Amino acid sequence: MAAQRFTMLLLAACAAAQAQDAEPQLSGQVRAQWDGVHANTAGPLAAAHTLQAGMATLPVNGVMLETELRASGKGITSVLTLQQQRLDDNAINSRAWVNELFASHDAGAWQFSAGKKIVSWDVGYGYRPNDMVQQETRRTLVSSTPEGRPMLLAEHFDADTAWSLVAVNPSASMNARDAQEPALAARLYQRFGAADAYGFARLGARTGASAGAALAWVATEALELHSSVRFSKHIDSQSMDPNTIALVAQNPWQPSTAQNVTQWLIGGTWTSPSQLSLLTEVWWDGSAPSDAQWNNWSQRNHQLSALAALGAPAAAVAGNLAWQAQSLGLSQNLRRSNVFVRLSWQKDPWKPSLDLLYTPADQGRVVTAALTWQGDRMQVQGGVRVVGGPAAAVLAQLPAKQLAYVALTWTF
Amino acid sequence: MKLIPCFLLTLLTAQAFAQDVTSVLKATDKFRMTAENLQVDTLINVTNADGTPDKERRYTVFAQAGRQSLVVMQSPAEKGQKVLMLGDDFWLLMPGSQRPLRITPMQKLLGDASTGDVATMSWANDYAGKLVGEEPCDAAAKQACLHLSLNATRKGVTYQRIELWVGKTRFEPVRADLYVLSDKLAKQAMFVMDKPTAPTMVLEMVLADQVSNHKVTHVRYLNRKARQVPPEWLNPMFLVRNPPLE
Repeated sequence: MAAQRFTMLLLAACAAAQAQDAEPQLSGQVRAQWDGVHANTAGPLAAAHTLQAGMATLPVNGVMLETELRASGKGITSVLTLQQQRLDDNAINSRAWVNELFASHDAGAWQFSAGKKIVSWDVGYGYRPNDMVQQETRRTLVSSTPEGRPMLLAEHFDADTAWSLVAVNPSASMNARDAQEPALAARLYQRFGAADAYGFARLGARTGASAGAALAWVATEALELHSSVRFSKHIDSQSMDPNTIALVAQNPWQPSTAQNVTQWLIGGTWTSPSQLSLLTEVWWDGSAPSDAQWNNWSQRNHQLSALAALGAPAAAVAGNLAWQAQSLGLSQNLRRSNVFVRLSWQKDPWKPSLDLLYTPADQGRVVTAALTWQGDRMQVQGGVRVVGGPAAAVLAQLPAKQLAYVALTWTF
Repeated sequence: MKLIPCFLLTLLTAQAFAQDVTSVLKATDKFRMTAENLQVDTLINVTNADGTPDKERRYTVFAQAGRQSLVVMQSPAEKGQKVLMLGDDFWLLMPGSQRPLRITPMQKLLGDASTGDVATMSWANDYAGKLVGEEPCDAAAKQACLHLSLNATRKGVTYQRIELWVGKTRFEPVRADLYVLSDKLAKQAMFVMDKPTAPTMVLEMVLADQVSNHKVTHVRYLNRKARQVPPEWLNPMFLVRNPPLE
């Protein structure tokens, strides 16, 4: 019934949007990408693979062809992605998805949208705690259009102020978790000269209330500063039962809800007259696993490896280690405290960049070097990402130790 | 006691010259900014130092009164990108990001033809200066121009100092030397008018890079029409919307 209600609302919005007069537009891009991966020899996934080859899927090289089609007109906007991917010598895997499909109604200062839409609100680069409608994957090697969320959106604009009110996932089950949870969210924007101030609020059907604020301020000709803070009563996450010992028959990492979570970010960008830019950000993500949880994780990894040495069934130990590796992909940030530094230079048509993500708690790091060439229709990107740090660092135990990529994008 | 009238006379003369410069600049601006609120379709062609073509970009610029401009990128390489300039404040929307970014005046300078070159179509509100005198319009020209030396009165402008040569009769822009904050000559501009003998508007601005790559940027004003955009279009958060441009 809920889905039907949402469809009816969408159809009504489409009908209203038909009244809008806009010239139809079609554009898009085709991207060919090669990824070369050097699997990590450290970490639980590598240990599982060593014990029982095939139990864990190690990252492998791949090639991908991705086509993004954009169409808009008569108040309707759509973005569709078609992807063909081949990993190592496996068969080609094809899939398609709709990034956006929404109807808009322009009523002057009031603007309305209904459908699947991308909404991004926060001000940070490396992390955006106040993206309350959807959390994009940040710091990707090659940026791609995220997938929107079903929503009903009303916005009001005047010269210096903007209101946004959104009902996201209106047709989803009240028990849905994470990004699928139905919620009401609001943003208030106010411009104060050289500063932009934002207030955010979200009411999740299951997780309840959260509130946040953000500020972006151009302090000098060359320096921009920004910060975000968010407090949530509850946030969906996953955690391992701390009492888990020895071998278990089912994944010990289960959905959980973190209480009274604080997330914040502070950062700035400095740009020189020669277009050298330095971005520095520091953030805290209270929804990431705590130091104690990572200590338990590390101890369990050692415990499982010791069990294998004592003669426990290799397949069972490898399976348990593979479950341990799943925790590396459960949250946006692996550690709660993070430091990010990015140096880039724009010298048309070239744009080289070098960035570092550092986790002070265990001195883990991810270093990425990239180079982009931008032509009229063609863009070529390439780079290398390497994870490192002490052996016990969480980042140093990610499944891929090194990742190289080359991407060719043609726009039309 | 005789010093006081002399001082007052000097002060009044200086003020009169300053007013003259402002009047000249306002007249000069009208050759690019032909209406108070304007929609301009702009074509940028960049050529390398050896004359080979480098790149082409298309922009729709909504230049509005009160130093407000909205630049909508139309080329395939930049489709979806927008820049909003409200006085000394700037925002950038990258394609697909759905998130307007505050940028500094320094970031606005990115590119061979900076957004400032495309979006800024007037000088009178941003610069003050003096009349240097009459000089040949360029080394080869026989006719004389008025040479104005201008300094920025606001912090967000692309060029800190401009040496500008304008026609003596109609004050149409002829050429300009554009200096950045470090007082380094960044670009030299030449203006191509619609009617050389009785100009009414600038058709093209040719910018020659003087700093690094010595590329030449042709900024062609393809189509101008008076248009005042709704106030909400100039709200930074409105950048994510896609209103009909025609």
